Amino acid sequence: MDRTSRARQIWSLVAMNGFVPMKRQPLYLVNTLTSPFSFLFFIAIVGGPAAIPFGVAGGMILTILSIGTSLQTDMTHYKQDLKLQDMVVASPMGAGIYVTGMALSEFVYAIPGMTVFAILSVLFGHYVFLGGVAVVVTLVLLWIFASALGFTLATYLADVRETFAVSPIISLALTVIPPVYYPITRWPAFLRPIAYIFPTTWAANLVQGALGISPSPLTLVQGVEDGLVLVATAAILFALAWAKAQWRER
Amino acid sequence: MTDAIVARGLGRRYLWRGGAQDALVDVNLRVPAGGLLGLIGRNGAGKTTFVRVASTQLLPTAGSVEVLGHDVVSEVGAVRGRIAVIPQESRPLYWLTPQELVAYYLRMRGGARRESEAKAKEALRELGLVPWAHTQVNRLSGGLRRRAMVAMVMASDAEVVFLDEPTTGLDPLARRSVWSAIRKAVSEHRTVVLTTHYLDEAEALSDRIALLEHGRILLEGTPREVAGRVRYPYRVAVESGFTEEELRSYGEVSRIGDRLLLFTHEPAARELTRKGLERGARISLGPVSLEDVFVQMVGKDFESDSAEEA
Repeated sequence: MDRTSRARQIWSLVAMNGFVPMKRQPLYLVNTLTSPFSFLFFIAIVGGPAAIPFGVAGGMILTILSIGTSLQTDMTHYKQDLKLQDMVVASPMGAGIYVTGMALSEFVYAIPGMTVFAILSVLFGHYVFLGGVAVVVTLVLLWIFASALGFTLATYLADVRETFAVSPIISLALTVIPPVYYPITRWPAFLRPIAYIFPTTWAANLVQGALGISPSPLTLVQGVEDGLVLVATAAILFALAWAKAQWRER
Repeated sequence: MTDAIVARGLGRRYLWRGGAQDALVDVNLRVPAGGLLGLIGRNGAGKTTFVRVASTQLLPTAGSVEVLGHDVVSEVGAVRGRIAVIPQESRPLYWLTPQELVAYYLRMRGGARRESEAKAKEALRELGLVPWAHTQVNRLSGGLRRRAMVAMVMASDAEVVFLDEPTTGLDPLARRSVWSAIRKAVSEHRTVVLTTHYLDEAEALSDRIALLEHGRILLEGTPREVAGRVRYPYRVAVESGFTEEELRSYGEVSRIGDRLLLFTHEPAARELTRKGLERGARISLGPVSLEDVFVQMVGKDFESDSAEEA
């Protein structure tokens, strides 16, 4: 299959699962904004104006991670209920193209939220030099991480109802417990190493540093280190997805 | 004629904690290129498992399957580009229209936009879906949705098409439109594997039929060959006028609901007809159908099977 055909395959999924349903049911747009803005609202009320930049940084991360949970739900639905994935397996479309197309289609839903958060980050943040690039790279790596996680889990879940149980646990483990919506200095010093178990801690370090709200300023070395951890995490999860996800059932 | 599908000693065992079940056991099948194989059997007989293995969705645990000369395990890439499948109980994306559904499926297979849209239009015309081409799927009846699914694979350029119970739930007219689409696919020298619960459908469409039971092939051949392999060529359905004991002296008797079904030879069938007329009994007779073959081979009909499962 040539490059043009692959691009068509990816685009067909983006349109079919992203633009068309969004056009037919605009409430999807509001739905993707609710969780990150609920957190932001809560943080702004409780923490005051000083906490808003952290809420914005966390909102960006949560919006991207929600792509993974939506992907997990959609892919489980398509596999178990509609049997669409079975049709795709028995077709020229490979697993990589399917996951890429589906992950991009979920990104379509994140566009409104990301646009709003990008504006808020300019209004409430103090971008450091190349901070914008650091944020974009971080969010792209998180998108890969979240998509690989969503795809892998979807191949093991037997019903959409199971995704309702799994998604909140993932949200809790990746966005609520780790210092995504607040600085890591809120954790007791002896517990901080544990925070780095969560890949989103590294992502938050980068985003908060790029927005100039981190307790310690973001250095190039630290930025590269955080970025490399995210690359490694995304690569490991991607490799796991490749090896363990069940495209064809065993 | 070359074979499009060749299964050799095919087996599939499902394992779970504390148990195992053989869904396919030593299945040997050949489907000629451009032919239609009808797979029949009760629920759980192994029809869907065969389709899933041959269409590269499920790995076999024994034996092999070749599709268009390529092994479905080691040469999966060479197979997937040339096949299409409608899985059992598959449903369309509710927010799309049938036109979009078919066109997007073709584009997912790598087709260009305009070409995909033209092919989609043609497939919808063939399946009588033109009036609903631009109606969102969630506003369509179950039968129309099923036909839209059939249109998806029929519009593709797949050389081998697997249809897993494509007409379940369709009314007789809708079934006919699916039949004509299937016939057209075969006339274009595409190979079709059709699983069905409707034995008349298998009989009407298939070049070859395979009867599966407990994962094994009980019978395989052309519809005529399959019908010819039963012990008795005539069936007599008796609703009144004869006792089961009396009928047993003429041949093999099965009770199907309130009816008695006798399989017998022609002279006995004639004699029973004469006696039936004298007694004013309600009987009907004819040559055995595929359903009768099924009853004779498996010992029960599809309905009793469903009742058992319920």
